Amino acid sequence: MEPRRNFLAAAWEGLGELVRGFATTFIHLFRRPITEAYPEYHRPLPERSRARIILTRDPDGDERCVACYLCSGVCPVSCISMQSSQREDGRRFASWFRINFARCIYCGLCEEACPTLAIQLTPHFETCQYDILTLVAEKEDLLVDHGGKNRDYNFYRHAGVTAVGGKGEHLQEAKPVNRRSNLP
Amino acid sequence: MPTLRIDQREISVPQGTKVIEAAEKLGIMIPRFCYHPALGSLGACRMCAVKFMEGPVKGVEMSCMVEAADGMVVSTTDPEAMEFRRYVIEWLMLNHPHDCPICDAGGQCLLQDETVSGGHGLRRYQGLKRTFEDQYLGEFVQHEMNRCIHCWRCRRFYQEFAGYFDYGAMQIGNRMYFGRFAPGPLESPFAGNIIDLCPTGVLTDKPSRYKGRRWDLQRGPSLCLHCSLGCNLVGSARYREMIRVEARFHGAVNGYFICDRGRYGFAYANHPDRPRQARVGEEAAPLDQALKTAAQRLGQIRERYGPGAVAAWGSTRSSLETLGMLQWLCQDQGWRGPQFFPQASLARRVKAAVARLDTGMAVSLRDLENADFIVVAGADPVQEAPMLALALRQAARRGATVAVIDPRPVFLPLEYEHLPVSPGDIDLCLNLLSQAARSEEAATGKLEPDAARFYGLLTSTNLEDPLLQERLLALGRKLQDCLRPVIVCNTDMVRETTPARAADQARLLQADKGQAGLFYLLPGPNAYGAALLAGREEVDLLAAMEQGGVKALVVVENDPLGSCPDQERLLRALDNLELLVGLDYLPSATAARSQIFLPTTTVFEKEFSHFINQEGRLQQAVPLHQGGTPIIQVGQGSHPPRTFLDAIPGGEPRPGAGILADLAAALSGEPAPPTAGDLWDYLSGEHEGFSQLASLTASALGEGVHLLPAEAQEPAWSPEPGEKPPEPPAGQLELLLVDQTFGTEELGSYAAPLQKVEEEPHLLLHTDLAADLGLAPGEQVALLLPGGEVTVRLQTAQNMAPGVAIMPRHRRLHWQKTGDGPVWLPPENIKKLSEPL
Amino acid sequence: MTAWITGCLILLLKLGIVLVGLLLLAAYLVLAERKLLARLQIRLGPNRAGPLGLMQPLADAVKLLTKEDLAPAKADRLIFLLAPAVVAATALLIFAVVPFGQDWVIGGRRIPLVVADLNVGLLYALALSSIGVYGVALGGWSSNSKYALLGGIRGAAQMISYELSLGLALVPVVMLAGSFSLVEIVAAQSRYPFLLVQPLSFLIFFVSAVAETKRIPFDLPEAENELVAGYHTEYSGMRFGLFFLGEYVTMVVMGSLVAVFFLGGWRGPWLPPLVWFFLKVLGVVFFMIWMRGTLPRLRYDQLMHLGWKLLVPLALLNIVVTGAVLLLLRA
Ligand code: SF4
Ligand code: SF4
Ligand code: SF4
Ligand code: SF4
Ligand code: FES
Repeated sequence: MEPRRNFLAAAWEGLGELVRGFATTFIHLFRRPITEAYPEYHRPLPERSRARIILTRDPDGDERCVACYLCSGVCPVSCISMQSSQREDGRRFASWFRINFARCIYCGLCEEACPTLAIQLTPHFETCQYDILTLVAEKEDLLVDHGGKNRDYNFYRHAGVTAVGGKGEHLQEAKPVNRRSNLP
Repeated sequence: MPTLRIDQREISVPQGTKVIEAAEKLGIMIPRFCYHPALGSLGACRMCAVKFMEGPVKGVEMSCMVEAADGMVVSTTDPEAMEFRRYVIEWLMLNHPHDCPICDAGGQCLLQDETVSGGHGLRRYQGLKRTFEDQYLGEFVQHEMNRCIHCWRCRRFYQEFAGYFDYGAMQIGNRMYFGRFAPGPLESPFAGNIIDLCPTGVLTDKPSRYKGRRWDLQRGPSLCLHCSLGCNLVGSARYREMIRVEARFHGAVNGYFICDRGRYGFAYANHPDRPRQARVGEEAAPLDQALKTAAQRLGQIRERYGPGAVAAWGSTRSSLETLGMLQWLCQDQGWRGPQFFPQASLARRVKAAVARLDTGMAVSLRDLENADFIVVAGADPVQEAPMLALALRQAARRGATVAVIDPRPVFLPLEYEHLPVSPGDIDLCLNLLSQAARSEEAATGKLEPDAARFYGLLTSTNLEDPLLQERLLALGRKLQDCLRPVIVCNTDMVRETTPARAADQARLLQADKGQAGLFYLLPGPNAYGAALLAGREEVDLLAAMEQGGVKALVVVENDPLGSCPDQERLLRALDNLELLVGLDYLPSATAARSQIFLPTTTVFEKEFSHFINQEGRLQQAVPLHQGGTPIIQVGQGSHPPRTFLDAIPGGEPRPGAGILADLAAALSGEPAPPTAGDLWDYLSGEHEGFSQLASLTASALGEGVHLLPAEAQEPAWSPEPGEKPPEPPAGQLELLLVDQTFGTEELGSYAAPLQKVEEEPHLLLHTDLAADLGLAPGEQVALLLPGGEVTVRLQTAQNMAPGVAIMPRHRRLHWQKTGDGPVWLPPENIKKLSEPL
Repeated sequence: MTAWITGCLILLLKLGIVLVGLLLLAAYLVLAERKLLARLQIRLGPNRAGPLGLMQPLADAVKLLTKEDLAPAKADRLIFLLAPAVVAATALLIFAVVPFGQDWVIGGRRIPLVVADLNVGLLYALALSSIGVYGVALGGWSSNSKYALLGGIRGAAQMISYELSLGLALVPVVMLAGSFSLVEIVAAQSRYPFLLVQPLSFLIFFVSAVAETKRIPFDLPEAENELVAGYHTEYSGMRFGLFFLGEYVTMVVMGSLVAVFFLGGWRGPWLPPLVWFFLKVLGVVFFMIWMRGTLPRLRYDQLMHLGWKLLVPLALLNIVVTGAVLLLLRA
């Protein structure tokens, strides 16, 4: 009759666990709820939490975005669209830049892909609207006049293009080669 | 056939194959920069290192420099080779400016790919980076020298492959500079290819600069419609705008390259004035409705005057579908036509040429490269069909003799012999060449009776210029030893007898040497198809319209007002019409004049289309997008409007064939007639040249098929000498209307990038003649033509036929005053207007 | 004649009161469940609609009523539309035989606090709860959706299986009371509730009742993390509301049946019978909610194992033992 006793023991043990479970939940009835009542109480979000997107400016105050399409390329829901073009001074920029926040899933991949630190997610998450089209943000809506999380970075100081800063003027650059002389 | 093992897989390759190619056949892409199948090996970049484990070579070697040999065992993934490649890519990246985000090559950049695949992630070098000044290289190529990795591809193409020398390498070592001596536009009309070739972002496409990344483009195989060669393209569209065109490899047609006309001509599809709406009178109307109105009015005219009062006029730039449907429509409705060419004489020349092509005779551009003697009769390759010039250069590089018999001051990027004779003498030159190539008895002894008889009939008057005669005979003697001669002949500016004569001479050569080729240039990308469809009968709509027999004209993707040399006569004829129905995708004069206008799509939009190139090759163009007004035009450069529509703005145009089919349906009240597959059936019954069509598989269509008959339609020798061509009135100049690389070809003349580089319209006279007339190059002259006066700048040349005046059919020149047929000008008709500017 | 009319009037009145009461109870039961569950999980629960969220049922009703009533394009429309009604109706109908208080005497008239005292009341209740299966099975099947179908199949299998133990658990009760009438059964418990003599029956009945209501830990037919929402996946608006209502009414009804069969119905000292009845029902219902907040869902094989291999044999054993004891006592 060995197994039978085991069965009884198991049943007894199971019953004990059941009671413990019920007791645990019952005690919860008398605990203070941990709910934060949202609209009355705003929890301060960490700086790196991911919500509404902005386009930042570099330390010179110029638009950082060079319309490289990397953010739109990486965006898993394809909610970024833009058109790159050339500004009069030769700088590459987005002649229009559009994010459809109705579609954005705030994954932050665009921020990660951005080589110029232009596109950044902010903790500002209260973006609900009644008309879905008002969730489509154009460049004017996205541009801010600061550098966001990293205020010092300036892409054009590193990239050696003529458009911004002459040849040989960027960080870690030698003067342009003189094509007319073989002297080193 | 050496057999070797690469990464544990065995492969046999032809003798002389490089290991890098052998690996490619196995599907193994060994990293490379300087190696390119068209340019060959150089060994400059060191990126293609692999390890040779067994066999004649041992250790790490460049796979592009070692020929495959028996018993070789190669590992591309050996740690030693991988490490080697990792260091190579690191040093190639040493000076790289790290500006991929603002580089247009990003996303389609070999350097990016190889950097990632080579395992180079972080820059270790902290020293100063070498920099270069950039140059202005013209309207097509953007230069950003900092990104260069010194692979030499650009220079090797530009100088060795294409034969132009204004771009090259300067300086030594790490300071090596690729560019021009002084900034300025690149001279070569093939310069665009260095953009495709450059594995980095040094040379990028200027017209499409900053327009979008490769991954955002709607890409697909397409065709070039800017001359009759039918080069293969990859087209790219984005946001309903055609962005860019690149060369697509086709072994028999264009190889890896295309010319700049083909590369930038596509922009007509984005023309801001392109008509995208149907129109009845002055009122815009929905396409269906306009179509119904057209059918109704055409029906009325047919009832009142009989079916022959309606005529159709197409052109050689339409797809085979549209041409076929037009032909069907005319047959079905009893309409007059269709006519496909602007002039009856041109139609005759093209038909004569097409009738003489067969599989034994026609050669492709690739075959041409293997010829050892090429006679170019009445053609100026760079101006008329640029890729032909590139093929000629390859032939010349392999030792071929190239002789050009043409009145123009022909320039070719290769060593060639130019005989500047007037068009009337081209036939004679061909005869003389033939005679010089074989002696009388050799001819009679060896040739078949037919050929021998023909040989006997050849006239042999001497050329007026003894020097030319001598050079011609010398060329003929050279031809004696050649084994694979080819005759290239144009159909544009030559006498009506010349295309047939060229074919005869090619036959003679074939009879003599057992092998000879014939290569025609035709007017327009589908001229071959049009000539087959037009059949033997002559249609002269212009005459019919003048006599008042035609009351309604349907003009399909054609601009007679732009292409007819006698515009005045055409205008008078058009005035006799009661109804002009136009179908087009260009904002042409004819489209604007049409009472009912129906917009059609370009080759890049909506549906598959097929074109037959000048050697009878049927090729397919795949639609890239669904058409519509480009977003950049809708949004005027700013962001697209935030409206939701259920139709594409400006997306109404439909393929010409579809519109014609619906027109036929509306006319006969029956459901739509043949489309696609049925049309093929109809065509294959229509003409034996099309007999293959019905049985073609989709893959055959995709790759392109030769529609040439095994036996030419007109195998006979043309009767010799026929009636003599009209002698030039003594002392008068023959006015020749010719093509230019940029500025004359119809589609390309609507393309903004090409408009920027086209030459000024000009009149070309022989230097001596100009001097006799007291004219100097650069002067504005007034040219009195049968249809009126045109003002044009004078240019002179030494190396052209003396008795001719040459004028390009420039889009900015009112050349349509010349009138039909050969035009003879008394020299006094050229008058000086002003001093040189 | 007048007696007949007043009888009818009283019946109608009773019906109305019971119906409204039952629906209200069910509606507030939803709120109570959500609140209680929230507290069991240290949350607040609904607290936005009205003070303390008391208007929540109203808000829910308005929401459900104003939502679009969708039917999948390929659904079997008629059946699809009828199924929720079957579920709700059967649940409501069972309550007809439940006595919820001592008879009242008003103006010399005896008014029994039961809508209808059937002499086969118990069988009637079981029969109706079997019909409820149709609602679930047909709703799931007619939706023409794989999730709904799976939910429906599970529901049918589960309800039919537990029907058995439900019925068997009641045999000893009938043996003790000697009647199928629920009024009689309550009457038979005048000295002691049957819970004391039939704890095993009670246990089996309670477990089976929970399974019949398809509640945690027996909510396999709607297992939202496997089947989206099970048999009512495709339902929306008030039709979904009917399913929902049916479920909560079933909860109340099962609570009442437990009270009637085992807890002595409305009987109890000091307090009025109606209050006792409600207290007992609420107690059972509270336990069901508590259970939901505590136990995880069974696996399907465990469910079947429990039903067929444990509860049915136990119930049969119980019948035999009860019968034997009864025979012994009588002898
Ligand atoms: S956060 Fe994610 S979803 Fe939103 S725009 Fe960026 S990449 Fe797209
Ligand atoms: S990745 Fe950054 S720089 Fe590039 S387009 Fe997006 S925001 Fe602009
Ligand atoms: S410019 Fe481009 S193709 Fe030319 S050498 Fe440099 S990297 Fe090579
Ligand atoms: S040669 Fe002719 S077909 Fe080829 S790319 Fe140039 S224009 Fe186009
Ligand atoms: S590809 Fe072989 S060395 Fe460059």
